[in-house]
Amino acid sequence: MSNVYSPTDPRFAHLGPEKFRLRQTDAVLLDAKFETKPIGFFRDAAMRFAKSKISIVALIAISIIGFMAIVGPYMTPYGYNDQNLDYINLPPKIPALARFGIFQGTRVLQNRRVDGLSDTSRYPEGSIIRIDNRRVMGGVELCDVTVDYYRYMGIDDDVYFLFGTDYLGRDLWTRVWRGTRVSLIIAIVSVICNVSIGLVYGSIAGYYGGSIDMTMMRITEIIDAMPDVVVVTLFILYFGSGLISIILALAVKNWIGTARMIRGQFYRFKNHEYVLAARTLGANDARLMFRHILPNSIGPIITRAMIAIPSAIFTESFLAYIGLGIRAPESSIGVLLSEGQKVLLYYPEQTFFPAVIISILMIGFNLLSNGLRDAFDPTQRGTE
Amino acid sequence: MVITLFIIITIGFMVIRLMPGSMYADDADMTAAQMEILRAKYHLDKPIPVQYGIFLRDLVLKGDWGTSIKMYIGVPVFDVLKMKIPVSMYNNLFSLLISLPIGVLLGIIAAVRKNSIVDYTTSFMVVIFISVPSFIFATLLQYYAAFRSGWFPIIYEASATGFAKLHSLTLPIIALSLGPIARVTRYLRAELAETINSDFMLLARTKGLTEAQAILRHGIRNSLVPLANVVIPMFTHIMSGSMVIERIFSIPGMGGLMVSSINNTDYPLTLAVLIFYSVVSLVTVLVVDLAYGVIDPRIRIGGRHIE
Repeated sequence: MSNVYSPTDPRFAHLGPEKFRLRQTDAVLLDAKFETKPIGFFRDAAMRFAKSKISIVALIAISIIGFMAIVGPYMTPYGYNDQNLDYINLPPKIPALARFGIFQGTRVLQNRRVDGLSDTSRYPEGSIIRIDNRRVMGGVELCDVTVDYYRYMGIDDDVYFLFGTDYLGRDLWTRVWRGTRVSLIIAIVSVICNVSIGLVYGSIAGYYGGSIDMTMMRITEIIDAMPDVVVVTLFILYFGSGLISIILALAVKNWIGTARMIRGQFYRFKNHEYVLAARTLGANDARLMFRHILPNSIGPIITRAMIAIPSAIFTESFLAYIGLGIRAPESSIGVLLSEGQKVLLYYPEQTFFPAVIISILMIGFNLLSNGLRDAFDPTQRGTE
Repeated sequence: MVITLFIIITIGFMVIRLMPGSMYADDADMTAAQMEILRAKYHLDKPIPVQYGIFLRDLVLKGDWGTSIKMYIGVPVFDVLKMKIPVSMYNNLFSLLISLPIGVLLGIIAAVRKNSIVDYTTSFMVVIFISVPSFIFATLLQYYAAFRSGWFPIIYEASATGFAKLHSLTLPIIALSLGPIARVTRYLRAELAETINSDFMLLARTKGLTEAQAILRHGIRNSLVPLANVVIPMFTHIMSGSMVIERIFSIPGMGGLMVSSINNTDYPLTLAVLIFYSVVSLVTVLVVDLAYGVIDPRIRIGGRHIE
């Protein structure tokens, strides 16, 4: 400690207090006090994020889909697995939009005999809307009939299915939103898993370095060399295709990217002076790692998680397509798509809605992650 | 790499053999004696490590991948693969080959006309094509370009040859290529846009080359260097994408084989398909590593020349 001389010090008693004069008492402090509030890291990022219109649009689109995934299944009286064989493969009928000529619950029946059209047991009263393309083939007059399919099937007028029904008469509105929910849960939970694993693994490898780092990175290289398809397939084959096993299968390989990124960040920051200062003040390894060094990487971590979500959604659908999707009565976007694919040529609307939702989600998350990356790290702007 | 392959084969074999249920559990019309004979024939009655030993011995010494036991009864797995691989490879290589030039071209246009309407349109398309999964495009194409308009066959015609074969493969190849095209475009645009601003491009312009000459001779060549490292791993992407596409268009390739062998519990076949995919992706990684050195000697590491 350096010596502080004060007027009351007994060594200076012989001088008397009047000999002492404080310096700078009449000096004016020229630094103006900041009128504005300081802006934190997240405020800063949020402000930058809000400037990018396209990211905001993406965020809104994702929020709407997320909201519908939560409340959508409860908006109709039908459960996701309520089968009704009277209501098979109905087209979508949305009363609110019917006035504009879309989703009226109509369907074109091709190659119908013209002389059968007046038969009210086959075509109930008021079910025929339009008759096109009259032609004679083999002595029989044929035509294409546009019918109100709900009346044609003898269903009451007040019954409607917003997205139609599938081959078991299940309400697709409920199934689509429930499927969206399941897909989102799979994606988000698997991303949380892979970020957590990657975070701890990468922190340890990056912080300690040396032979620990070397060994840990060799392990990731071996895991990384296994092709995605093979790892995921084997995993599902072995553990069955439940929600949990799909989530884990998606996390098996994806944490490696996160771990590498975190390790890189640790190498960048661990030799900074402030880390040395914290160490000098007695912070232990865990505190240094997670309190002092890791928060530097929060931006890249969030960005990376956002990029991982669409790829998890994609992999889930991919698994459903190759027959390793989630088990039967449960629905997911992939399951709906692959079921719709089977009847694509007859009932394309069954594929339409899940396809639109997965496309919006994928585009939305990609744009969102771009926006977040730019917001967290403006120096990266424009590089893809 | 060999070690990785060995680990994959081991894990794959163990996982497939340890799965619950016997391979013949669902064949109710077989007597117990018949079942025993079959199990003995395929060594299924022995402990799993012994089975594994036999499998490895046959694979390494005789090049024998085992025999398909459910789908193509009695046919060696290797022959099944020999039949299927060319079909898949034809698709995948074709889509890689067409996506490269198109992607490069679009990337160049977007970079040269940076911040113009062309650039924005390209960027917009790139985002869509990268985001939306290939099977959505496949479904769209199948419905509109094949079913509604009848321009292309709805599913692959296996018996067709020559032009008709190509015709029936057009839609799957387009569906497979859109993603890779977008990736190449995005990469090249970013790369070239950076190169154009560098000093040697200014020098090229100063010494009297036209804009086009400078970009063609100096800009593109420098941007193409890192492209190889994007393109080669893309092949693995295309391969896994093609599994779904093959299913949608009923192409009798490796993807379909894998799916049906899993569903039919034909395990030797499943294992072989998995090994095939592993080998392809490992070779890809190796090629990338080698390509680093060949394309840009500065990157060559290992320090052979350092005394």
